[in-house]
Amino acid sequence: MAVAAAQAIPGKPRSWIAKRAVIYVLLLAVACLFFVPFLWTITTSFKSLPDSVHVTLWPHPWTTSAWHTVWSQYDFKLYLRNSLFLAVVVTAANMFLAGLGGYAFARLRFPGRELLFLLVLGTLMIPDQLRLIPVFVLLTNWHLIGNFSGYILINLVTATNLFFMRQYFLTIPKDYEEAARLDGAGYFKTFWRVMLPLAGPAIAALTILQFQGTWNDFFWPLILFGQGSTGHYTVQLGLAEFVLTYQTNWPALMAGSVIAILPILAIFIAFQRYFIAGVAAAGVKG
Amino acid sequence: MAVATDTTRVPAAGSRFGSRAREGLTGYLFVLAPMAIFGIFFLYPFGYAIYISFFDWGILGKNHGVGFHNYSLLWHDSTFHTAIKNTLEYTLVVVPLEMALGLSVALIVNAGIRGRTFFRAAFYFPSLASSVAITTIAIYMLSADGLLNSIIGGHRSWFTDEKTALWSIVGLNAWTTSGTIMLFYLAALQAIPTDVYEAAALDAASAWRTFRKITFPLLRPAHFFVLVVFGIGALKIFDQAFLVSGGRGGPNYATYTAVLYIYLKAFGSYQFGLAAAAGVVLFVVIFLLTLAQRATVGRYEVGG
Repeated sequence: MAVAAAQAIPGKPRSWIAKRAVIYVLLLAVACLFFVPFLWTITTSFKSLPDSVHVTLWPHPWTTSAWHTVWSQYDFKLYLRNSLFLAVVVTAANMFLAGLGGYAFARLRFPGRELLFLLVLGTLMIPDQLRLIPVFVLLTNWHLIGNFSGYILINLVTATNLFFMRQYFLTIPKDYEEAARLDGAGYFKTFWRVMLPLAGPAIAALTILQFQGTWNDFFWPLILFGQGSTGHYTVQLGLAEFVLTYQTNWPALMAGSVIAILPILAIFIAFQRYFIAGVAAAGVKG
Repeated sequence: MAVATDTTRVPAAGSRFGSRAREGLTGYLFVLAPMAIFGIFFLYPFGYAIYISFFDWGILGKNHGVGFHNYSLLWHDSTFHTAIKNTLEYTLVVVPLEMALGLSVALIVNAGIRGRTFFRAAFYFPSLASSVAITTIAIYMLSADGLLNSIIGGHRSWFTDEKTALWSIVGLNAWTTSGTIMLFYLAALQAIPTDVYEAAALDAASAWRTFRKITFPLLRPAHFFVLVVFGIGALKIFDQAFLVSGGRGGPNYATYTAVLYIYLKAFGSYQFGLAAAAGVVLFVVIFLLTLAQRATVGRYEVGG
């Protein structure tokens, strides 16, 4: 489809067309490599157990028994609700706090700013696995193990997001906010009404990556809810337990994987448009 | 926040000092919440982890100080050596691989092709999927009766074979992470002003020369960002190793990573002091590598 379109362009030398054709064939091949395993995953979830050991794309016969196993024996509805709740709260908190802090570090002058920013960069270097034991001890003392508050609290804002927002704010010309300030807008209003909208592409990227990160997080849910808080299980934790329990029940495992991927895929498709619009706006601005 | 809005109006000319003070106070106010979170849940735990590492510390808390005993246990523990070796090998192979993949795909998608939205989405797609889901799928694809073996005609169970388990995780993660790296490179590529390329076109520079002399050096901040963020991410490899080995790091310690060691010492045998000491060692490794990366890729500007 794309190749034909490229050849239809008039007035281009033959070598140019050949080069384009090669690029598109390569792109399609790589895209297939990226897509086929997922297609396979979906069709396998509709296979019967004996059929799943046959390496065929199409199920024979089609059956929804794997989906019944997933819904009836495991509480995937609850897992979905838990994951959605955590992802929305953590993403909103990060968007606001990383934006606010990033704006301050990029634009506002205050004594000790460079020192504080060094601490932010230092935070970037502290791996979750170093803070694992002390954070677990802290949350245990505060009775925050096995409930959502503990998870949200330690994920309210990340240094990565703050760093990312600051870098983006640095690229925005100062004229915009100076105009806003001359109109009498305060710092917060300037941030909220002028800088944040101008940072649309960065906000979009942050939203996609943070939502994805929290939705897909396995490590902290395992630590905080893994010791028997099944009511707080996220989709990933539920699926992991499923993997360890149902070693080779491929159709059920693939059904569980589809459940873990589909909601975030839907959100990505919805955000993809916003993302492209944001990138286009960035192009116009420059 | 409403208070800040009302009290930070630009004052009339002449009160320069007042406006400076107001700007400073607003700055502190804006960074207060993030800095509090970083302080309580990152910087303080950094010191606390070192403190815990000098104790015999169980699930119920502190027992007694043991000096450097936990570190000496690590020094003599061959399991820990294997964990560090596996983690370093994994990182040294996977990071260059996924950066090369991510940059290549970003360059192609950025090269004014039709259907770039489709291809960008297609390449980003594996990055969307959770580590748990993607590992589950990979376990199926790389099983003895799986898709890969039917294509190449083998019978290896890739994740449970000592020789291939770690490298299968490398392949899996290069595949899933390159899409995210592509996004970072795409953003950086779009930030490069077009007149730079117009000048190169006037000089009739070849595509490869333009890339090598202009694009690649201009992407330096992106290289640094990707290298540090994904290098640190690779050193923290855990989920895939946990899942393919049923949380044990096998077969024969082939997928035993540094973080899996920390996890198993903490929540398998409740040796919190030893786990904290392993965390400190992992941090030192990450810190040294970050310094090395910074020295080779170039200095990063801290100030605005």
